[in-house]
Amino acid sequence: MSVLNVTVEKVEQITDVVKQFTFVQDNGEALPKFSGGSHVVVSMDINGRTHRNPYSLMSSPANTDSYQIAVRRQDKSRGGSVFMHDQVKPGTKLTITYPVNLFAINRLGKKHILVAGGIGITPFMSQIADLNRLGADYELHYAYRSSEHAAFREQLEELCGDRVHFYVEGDGTRIDFGDLLGQQPLGTHAYVCGPEPMVKMMLLTAKYLGWPSNHVHSEQFLAPPVGDEFTVVLNQSAKEIVVPGDMSMLEAMEEAGVDAPFLCRGGACGRCELDVLETDGALLHHDHYLSDAEKAAGNKIMPCVSRAKCTRLVVNL
Amino acid sequence: MNMAFKNETFRDDYTFTNSPEAIRRFPFPFDKDEYMYSVNIEQHTKGAPGSVFENVIDLDEHYLAECEDRRITLADDPDRCIALPHMMDAQWDMLELGMESLAKDFPEHFQLSRDGDNWHWVNKPLDIEQKFVFGDLSTLPMEPFEFISRQLQGDWVVMDQRDEDLFADMGMVTSQADWSLAFDAGMSFKEWHGPVPQANEMGIFERALKYLLHLQYGSPVRRLNWTMTVNPRLDTSPENYPIWGPDNVSVTANNVADKVFLRVELQTLFRLPRSNAITFGIRGYLISVRDIATYPRWAKRLHRVLTNLHPDLAEYKGLTNYRQLVIDWLAPMDDGADIGEGTHPE
Amino acid sequence: MERGYRIRSKPLYDPLIWKEHATDHVVIAHAEGGVGVLKLFQMMTPKQPIKVLFADDARAQRSYRDIISKLVDEGLQILDDKEGVLSAVSATLDDCVMGTQFYIAGNEDFIWAASQILKSAGVDDKNVMKEQCGSLARPVYCVHCKTIDPEVHHNVYTCPGCGRHLFVRDHFSRRLGAYMGLMVDAEEPGNIPEVEEMYP
Repeated sequence: MSVLNVTVEKVEQITDVVKQFTFVQDNGEALPKFSGGSHVVVSMDINGRTHRNPYSLMSSPANTDSYQIAVRRQDKSRGGSVFMHDQVKPGTKLTITYPVNLFAINRLGKKHILVAGGIGITPFMSQIADLNRLGADYELHYAYRSSEHAAFREQLEELCGDRVHFYVEGDGTRIDFGDLLGQQPLGTHAYVCGPEPMVKMMLLTAKYLGWPSNHVHSEQFLAPPVGDEFTVVLNQSAKEIVVPGDMSMLEAMEEAGVDAPFLCRGGACGRCELDVLETDGALLHHDHYLSDAEKAAGNKIMPCVSRAKCTRLVVNL
Repeated sequence: MNMAFKNETFRDDYTFTNSPEAIRRFPFPFDKDEYMYSVNIEQHTKGAPGSVFENVIDLDEHYLAECEDRRITLADDPDRCIALPHMMDAQWDMLELGMESLAKDFPEHFQLSRDGDNWHWVNKPLDIEQKFVFGDLSTLPMEPFEFISRQLQGDWVVMDQRDEDLFADMGMVTSQADWSLAFDAGMSFKEWHGPVPQANEMGIFERALKYLLHLQYGSPVRRLNWTMTVNPRLDTSPENYPIWGPDNVSVTANNVADKVFLRVELQTLFRLPRSNAITFGIRGYLISVRDIATYPRWAKRLHRVLTNLHPDLAEYKGLTNYRQLVIDWLAPMDDGADIGEGTHPE
Repeated sequence: MERGYRIRSKPLYDPLIWKEHATDHVVIAHAEGGVGVLKLFQMMTPKQPIKVLFADDARAQRSYRDIISKLVDEGLQILDDKEGVLSAVSATLDDCVMGTQFYIAGNEDFIWAASQILKSAGVDDKNVMKEQCGSLARPVYCVHCKTIDPEVHHNVYTCPGCGRHLFVRDHFSRRLGAYMGLMVDAEEPGNIPEVEEMYP
């Protein structure tokens, strides 16, 4: 996978838990152009291990002299966001992937309803730049907990004018999904990014109102969950790799020098899919990609987020 | 690169020929004695110097003649270039890809200078000079995709990615192997591949689609495809089948070596940045059976591939009328020796 | 072509059934598509608001408007002909919201004419239920002169635009709403295969 070498140019505290980072390319050139909704995967060296986390690009696709991402500090995580908050400062060097878009605007959409919760606002920032440029009809509905958590509110008011609506939980205003989704003209597409309960509520409401599933889009990067240690055996090379409790299978394979395919690293895109040849335990699927039937069949797994409760798992790599 | 552009035709009197250099660099596709479909994709990185894989977009001695052939086809049938309304971002992406690639790889023929959005493009072989504002339609003589694809060899199909699928929503198709853009425009990946036999049952297209949905910007890929045709004709479209159809039954034992051509497509796939679309370059190379036999190894290989070819594939590729004649002409050159794997000529 | 092979662009149709979750329902039918409408309402009348837009085929022996009028007590528009139904579809779209389920029943030419109107309003044909009723006649696009013949019953026909003899392929374009017709005797002019009524 092609990488870009970048240096952090600026770090800004946006709220008490959200920081914004600005990257520029080491070689002085502009960064690659991208489409709204794209993300990059940032590699970080934490205590000798390489962690890779996806972050949505917030900057405008029209100006790629720099990229901007925003990171919400999650204390109960595997350390990626803590690392970004505590260790990354202006001058820090990082490697990032080229932008990848798994949350693109549907170009046939007549209207676009964007729904963001908390830090989920990030992918919409670059989408809005594209939507404004294309003169598209859209609305942004942004829910956050309290005014201290209003990341980017001013910026959004400037970018969106009266197309943006804010919902502050602390003030008692919430998004009424039934109301929002019950009145939209034909050809509308809806996009949601935020905490899991909000995403679930929106998808369910859309479903019961009769929205076709291909008009509702969600982006949710799952952090790889922790679990018990197990050994993954690579069938083709006979390599045996121990997967520690706090490392994903994909990360463990990479640490062992295996060039395993990946893309989103969040259980959404399917790129890292491996065939399971045998196991003496159970697969623990944490992804959004495999169907229920495929998960039950037990012969595929997404190593970026899924695990197994077993001693041995043999995959076809 | 020192290249003289030839003056030749791909229709009517068919004066097309390949120089010895063009024959030597021909992308002969058969590495085994049997041919079967496969996804056979590889990274589109800088290939061997002088080969068709060396540059991002290949340019050869047929450049001017192919552009002229395209111009004639378009004058007769403007529907060979279609761009659905939502593809404007992809049009500019494609213009950027074409201009950047040609200017970087062939600076003696093309120049691109940029000052922000003010671009200045020079195409010396076609005597085109254009100053324009990138993103501003009013500053070009025609839409960006048509503007650049008239200056590129090969067909280009640009696919919108949506709904876990790819849609052929834009294209410049004047050198196709018997498929119609006017008919297929707007189709999904599986729909437009619908007519291909056998491969569907093998799940080839499911795998290819999954792979392409994850194609990354900055990491283009390529593969080879092939067919055969009578006369060095680029426009073997269904639209003009009444014109070239009769040629299919005109092959005899006496003319087969000069009338039947191997047509190899170098297919390249690039992710486009602003539109998130994928562009599919389909670049055709033609070589007569006689010219293939310049290299005995190729003659033997082609003889065996055609002999072993599944009848459904032969029918789908339109070879049934002259396949045996080609086999018979090549047969005396095949001593049955093991030539090993690989596409190299010698 | 070998057995087990089917061309993936050829549309497959299903008998209409009510979608369980919908904000409202719009049923669009013509001629023998009336049977599709009757089957729907004989299954049940859903809770949500309904519109039915229907016209008989004046040329046909059978008429369904009377029975449909008895079964459908709300939102029914009986039009005079196919064009009348299609106009009514265009007119009704402004009032429709996301969550409206569309159903189309009729012959292939009608199904795709209605689908194209829906598509221009942003409705993906993938999300529209379609039942092929009555004739199997195919709309066919002549790839040479681009004329569409809306009702072809035979495997080979004469193009009304250019007069060529065309073979009717299974390759289908949803954008054009037609199958491809390709010259059948280009290689040997006059050598036309046996003409058979394949799409009665």
